[in-house]
Amino acid sequence: MAPTTYTGLLTRGLAAGGIAGLAAGLVSLFVVEVPIRAALAVEEARAAAEHAEGGEHEHAELFSRGTQVVGGVLAAVVLGLAVGALFATVFAYTRRWFVDKQPFFRSAALGLSAFGVAALLPAIKYPANPPAVGDPTTVNFRTGLYLGLILAGIVVAYGASYLASRLGHLAAPVRVTAVLLATVVAVTVLLLVFPPPPDAIPADMPSGVLWDFRLASLAETATLWIGLGVVFGLLIDPAVRKSEAKAAVAA
Amino acid sequence: MTSPALTPSIAVPKWAFAVALVALIVAWVVLQENGVALGAAAENVHEFFHDGRHALGVPCH
Repeated sequence: MAPTTYTGLLTRGLAAGGIAGLAAGLVSLFVVEVPIRAALAVEEARAAAEHAEGGEHEHAELFSRGTQVVGGVLAAVVLGLAVGALFATVFAYTRRWFVDKQPFFRSAALGLSAFGVAALLPAIKYPANPPAVGDPTTVNFRTGLYLGLILAGIVVAYGASYLASRLGHLAAPVRVTAVLLATVVAVTVLLLVFPPPPDAIPADMPSGVLWDFRLASLAETATLWIGLGVVFGLLIDPAVRKSEAKAAVAA
Repeated sequence: MTSPALTPSIAVPKWAFAVALVALIVAWVVLQENGVALGAAAENVHEFFHDGRHALGVPCH
């Protein structure tokens, strides 16, 4: 099925999402698991201290560590497939998104924007926390803030592309400057208006572990979203197939 | 490079909404499920994907 039909885009979205998800899963396995192990050691030390004080806090884990590590990789793959389908659908709908650019550029730009809105923006205001950080009683509030910021970011991204299409009469450098300026202002307002994260970081969590975990988490989400945009772009851009055909003829 | 033929208008069928909905539900189950939709099974889903939730930056207990 050609990438000019919705079904053609959807199959390529799923393929790109699966590949990007697997790549993100490997980042999870080899990069994010390192600070997760350090954070779990903090959690265990805490439990041991409570136990020593006579507290009854023994609870059996539902899954072994090994299973949860596999679950971490699988989460990235399954999420990759889901966002791949969403990405293809959004890509098919877009009427204003860099209409004069090649499909690969459009796809890569959409992936980069999705990373900005769905991962980087919430990571700046509500950075990822490893296990052993986070108050169970505030999880619904924190989830609401996190999803609210992502939704607001989607509105800003949509607004930026709408603004760019309305400023078509301006010279490109002026138009880009105006759209960038408006986006920076809107994002700054969002970051200031949204309330700060409600949880304090426990004193027994080393700041190095926290920092490593947050960077590693960003590496995983960047792999997922930017990888999705790039792989989808490679799969749909007819220029790729043309250069492959040329290389085959030359070989 | 400004040829409008670069972005052919793609006819998006109505069932694309269903695809988007299913994708959102899958993402919800992996990242957020706290017992709203799956009830008792949620804890298993939650714990199985626990590393993934943390690693992907989703708020967690």
